[in-house]
Amino acid sequence: MFIHNLNYSLKTLLKNKILIFWTFAFPIILGTFFKMAFSNIENSEKLDIIDIAIIENDEFKNSDVFKESFKTLSDESNKDRLFNTKYVDEEKAKEMLKNDEITGYLILEDEPKIIVNTSGINETILNYVVEEIAQSETIMQNIAQKKIQDAISGTIQFNSYDVLYDNIYNEVTNIIKENSEANIEDISNSNLSYTMIEFYTLIAMACLYGGILGMVAINQNLPNMSNNGKRVAMSPTPKYKVVFSSVLASYIIQLIGIALLFVYTIFVLDVDYGTNLSLIILLAVVGCLAGLSLGVAVATIFKANDNFKTGIVISFTMFGCFLSGMMGITMKYIVDKNIPILNKLNPASMITDGFYSLYYYDTLDRYYFNIISLLIFAFVMIGISTISLRRQKYDNI
Amino acid sequence: MENVIEVKELTKEYKKFKAVDNLSFEVHEGEILGLLGPNGSGKSTTINCILSLLNFSKGSIRIFGKEMEPSAYDLKREIGVVFQDVAVFDELTIYDNIDYFCGLYIKDKTLRKKYIEDAINLVGLEDFKKFYPKQLSGGLLRRLNIACGIAHKPKLIFLDEPTVAVDPQSRNNILDGIETLRNNGATIVYTTHYMEEVEILCDRVIILDKGRIIASGTTDELKELAKIEEKVSVEVKELDEKYIEKITELKNVEDVDYENGLLIITYKKGKNNLVELIDYMKKESINYNKIFSERPTLNDVFLELTGKELRD
Repeated sequence: MFIHNLNYSLKTLLKNKILIFWTFAFPIILGTFFKMAFSNIENSEKLDIIDIAIIENDEFKNSDVFKESFKTLSDESNKDRLFNTKYVDEEKAKEMLKNDEITGYLILEDEPKIIVNTSGINETILNYVVEEIAQSETIMQNIAQKKIQDAISGTIQFNSYDVLYDNIYNEVTNIIKENSEANIEDISNSNLSYTMIEFYTLIAMACLYGGILGMVAINQNLPNMSNNGKRVAMSPTPKYKVVFSSVLASYIIQLIGIALLFVYTIFVLDVDYGTNLSLIILLAVVGCLAGLSLGVAVATIFKANDNFKTGIVISFTMFGCFLSGMMGITMKYIVDKNIPILNKLNPASMITDGFYSLYYYDTLDRYYFNIISLLIFAFVMIGISTISLRRQKYDNI
Repeated sequence: MENVIEVKELTKEYKKFKAVDNLSFEVHEGEILGLLGPNGSGKSTTINCILSLLNFSKGSIRIFGKEMEPSAYDLKREIGVVFQDVAVFDELTIYDNIDYFCGLYIKDKTLRKKYIEDAINLVGLEDFKKFYPKQLSGGLLRRLNIACGIAHKPKLIFLDEPTVAVDPQSRNNILDGIETLRNNGATIVYTTHYMEEVEILCDRVIILDKGRIIASGTTDELKELAKIEEKVSVEVKELDEKYIEKITELKNVEDVDYENGLLIITYKKGKNNLVELIDYMKKESINYNKIFSERPTLNDVFLELTGKELRD
């Protein structure tokens, strides 16, 4: 009976055009629109490499911080390269600026000085970068100074001044190096593009839309929900078998839908989910379970027709996705800042937060926290549904 | 004769409204029991209570001698239900629909295949096996609804208004099918508000109104309850008021009604009423086209008992 019902549940759900649209087609269509819309935005916002010049005077030659920083920021092998830097004398730099060959040039004297012709985004970026580097240099100098003072005052014991010098030199060099690497690493880790944010909310939406499948499956089996349910209730097959096989069928279809979405986005839309694809898929699988449980709960709690219940699931999902950043990531920050509990209870937010945590955190603690939160959400929804499903007779049907 | 169903003092209340009021009756093995009553009289509620789908306020229900409850799977195996509303999957073909519902009762695939073919033949859907429900007419859909409910060859069948809104051909097919089921040994509870069907099919009839039994018995027994013996209808183009008054004074006449060229005379018990009427009309040279006599119907019984028509 279980397999018989599972087979026919798969058949009826897969042939239901409305369900297939919401589960399979809609996320794919929306994903295609996202790709078209957001990749253009990203392309238009991508920074051009800025042509600059640096006056190669003694001050610059003696400043390891500036030298290393601009070397990294102008490195052709760096995908986040900002500058195309020419090291010239001041006369040449002036000439280049006059001929519009460069945005501006940098002279290191007592203070770093930037010479530009006009003001614009490129000039602002150059100014910002120089200020940042100058600040870093000041920090390095302060650290070095403190180390020297500590050594002189005897806090740190060294065998000879040579060793002292080597020690300070190495430490400062390491700090410069670490700072430089940290910057590069930070840039790549946190650089989650608009497109990726939208695709993660899209996956969250697809997971929760699966709730419609669960809802329909339940409706087909309950006598107070449908005529077919009356017939099923009159059969000698226990309710738990029928309900479980139908819900399993819904889950299988939901997973097929998610798998298709991944295949389509990876191979057709060329979306790069990075190195954490297996964790992303695991989160989607758990997210589907949460979505399914939501649909089952809606089906059992509300005594209304399919269209009304579908409306509830879609509204809940879309609102949840809106709060978790589908229509602009700012919304997620606003909710997190002002009403954090809302996103803690929002399954769409749990899913997207899990995805973001793979980008923003070195450990998987937050990722697993979201997985567990989703499982708890599913457990609570199924618990509520079970209470209602245990009813054998009805006051009216 | 053994009782297949025993209903005792069944009462179903919705807040202060009694949908079923202290109902007691039995259904005997092999008979077709008709539950007759207008819409809202409690027929479907009674069936849903018997099937243990609805909670009821008071009473007891036994089927095949055992108490009926939602987990009485051994009883459910022997019961087939054809609900008033069509209950099929739009996404499945006719064959698959029957296979799905039959499969909830019969595990053996070979046996099930045979049962499905039998059900399809019974309702005359042989040419529509691969059709989808949306491709069927209302009548064919009703036949599918029946096939889904009886394919597993149950011993007890509930048919809740199976012929509502069907064409005459499908109605005849359905009624023939029900006869066949009875001939094969099934006990049938048949609810309807079509008295003609009850007269054709049912061995016994229970007439319900406002959740209560107002009469029960065979159709002949019920007709005895009506205070009329005969109803004569005469097509007369023109009829003067004085003739109507004279006809009213004829022997055994209970009531005379003349409307739109049709004269209807209702007689109390008695004989030779038709002969006397014809003689009178000849004597008065009243021209008439057609004249026919009929016995009282169950609708007349219902009218007599409740003061309203079954289809009100």
